[in-house]
Amino acid sequence: MRAFAFAVALLAAPAAAHHVELLPRLEFVPPAPGTYVLHHIMAAPQGTVLDVDGNAAPLSRYTRGSITLLGFIYTTCSDPDGCPLAYRVFDALKEAIGTRTELHGRVRFVTLSFDPARDTPGVMSRYAGSRAVYKGNGLRWYFLTTRSARQLMPLVEGFGQDVRVTRTGRELSHVLKVFLIDRGGDVREIYSSNFLHPEVVLNDIETLLAEER
Amino acid sequence: MRRSYCVAVAALACAAFTGVHADETCNSPYISKLIKGQEDYVYVWTLGIEGLGDGSDKLVTVDVNPKSKAYGRVINTVSTGTRAEAHHMGLTDDRRHIWAGGLSENRIWVFDIASNPAKPKLVRTVSDLGDKSGFLGPHTYYALPGRMLVQALSNTKDKSGKTGMALYNNQGKFIDAQPMPSSNGGDGYGYDLAVNPKKNVLLTSSFSGYANYMRPLGELIKDGEAMKNFGNTMVVWDLKALKPQKVLAVPGAPLEIRWSLNPKDNWAITAAALTSKLWLVKQDAKGDWNAKEAGTIGDPAQIPLPVDISITRDGKGLWVNTFMDGKTHYFDLSNPEAPKQTYEKVTGKQVNMISQSWDGKRVYITSSLLANWDKGGADNEQFIRGFAWNGSELTQKFEVDFLKEKLGRAHHMKLGSRALYAKPKGG
Repeated sequence: MRAFAFAVALLAAPAAAHHVELLPRLEFVPPAPGTYVLHHIMAAPQGTVLDVDGNAAPLSRYTRGSITLLGFIYTTCSDPDGCPLAYRVFDALKEAIGTRTELHGRVRFVTLSFDPARDTPGVMSRYAGSRAVYKGNGLRWYFLTTRSARQLMPLVEGFGQDVRVTRTGRELSHVLKVFLIDRGGDVREIYSSNFLHPEVVLNDIETLLAEER
Repeated sequence: MRRSYCVAVAALACAAFTGVHADETCNSPYISKLIKGQEDYVYVWTLGIEGLGDGSDKLVTVDVNPKSKAYGRVINTVSTGTRAEAHHMGLTDDRRHIWAGGLSENRIWVFDIASNPAKPKLVRTVSDLGDKSGFLGPHTYYALPGRMLVQALSNTKDKSGKTGMALYNNQGKFIDAQPMPSSNGGDGYGYDLAVNPKKNVLLTSSFSGYANYMRPLGELIKDGEAMKNFGNTMVVWDLKALKPQKVLAVPGAPLEIRWSLNPKDNWAITAAALTSKLWLVKQDAKGDWNAKEAGTIGDPAQIPLPVDISITRDGKGLWVNTFMDGKTHYFDLSNPEAPKQTYEKVTGKQVNMISQSWDGKRVYITSSLLANWDKGGADNEQFIRGFAWNGSELTQKFEVDFLKEKLGRAHHMKLGSRALYAKPKGG
């Protein structure tokens, strides 16, 4: 029933319907919100990040106080099952959350680059486009980078987001991972591509919110 | 519009892995780095033998790259300094560490294989499994994103086969424990676990407890009561919720579980040790999971004792080692409901684990089952043997004699590669 309602919500808006088309089909019925436990996997790591204007801030500013969905990307990634998939899921979730007023102000998205050499704040700003602009739809989406690999590595390693430079030195090889972080800054779920689906993530967000009641 | 923000520099390509693959076909699908070419190393988790070398369990690194001057030789050992019935190990999802444990106690040794893949380092010992969960004898180490799911075989209270799974994060911090189901057909036993993430299914199998696996085999099989204490079930779990959904009757101690890695397939296969049967676990048209006896391995009346199995990456073939007769079997799995043996060869006087390279061209076999179940005298060979497989014949390429090298009993294997580890550039 919940899944059906979610699908209807997505299909209600033309843009969202486009996302549904693009996303891989979920081959299982995920457990209903609140019927399962999201474990405290680990604390989100500490470090310094740069926003699209080049302002430095501790990462904790973006991982505490709200439920956070954080994904690593690099802007030149083109594998459809990698960063673009995460982007599509984030987009679809943004649409869904926009239709759910009870979720407004309780969830944020963070997109963090693991390619500081190329992904400067300016590049991240262009990559984000209008997504980084808050339009009063209940959800803020932050696009962040770091000053250097030295600043990045503690974050990458702290999240367990492995990345390596391929032999040509021109590609960043990585596993798609997206992290769900609770208001206290603990990682509560880590999505690989199979579980990175709007329906699953939204259920998890609701499960975390149910803990707060 | 989408392309404008996703492909800012078309000359660069993203090589993101989606998490649905595995390299050595038996690994967790969440393991990130694939060895699709020639592996450089085989790490062998080895039981110490009292009076042989240092007598301790150890991680042995064997160079298996034919282009190396050290091909077929031991290039490193890391001793744990104790003897704890070393058995299985598993890679973390980032493939930076190996978790390895023993069945006679509760310590788990964590080795760093990323800093120098040729020389693993012991970096951590996790020792709170018994205190936190009540379980004993960690067996399977299965990578989940950022976590390790550990299947135990026994418990600290009565050392029977009632056991469960424990969840740790990759830093070795205990997160949660989950007992194997003991109602609705569940028998409480555990052995292996394997995940099909696409279906949100975790599948577990069942063996026996400390009280049985630590007894000499000859003594155990004469004890009729003790022989009743083996698992006869598999369990289908909701992976996301980590809750049991259905108990399947699979008599005779179903052991290793291998999902077909073919994306179109929706089945897993296992071998029941005591009955020498292959069992298929498959999803039906209604989405329900069922177990079905699919075939026989050797002559069950002779108790060949199938131990390890290894599935090809396309799900079309299966290697099976039978311990008692030392045979390595190959089954055609084109029809998984009716596997057909197409090849067999005696590869040792006793054989246990079997691993194959991603391309299926190389097969590695070790000898030890359990310290008290291995054969005696001249039949107690201890080795790793490397074979080439051309599709019709196994040809031995090298052997390391673990007794001659004063190492111990060769058990579980994982493959290693130098090329997997590098850091991003930039500042």
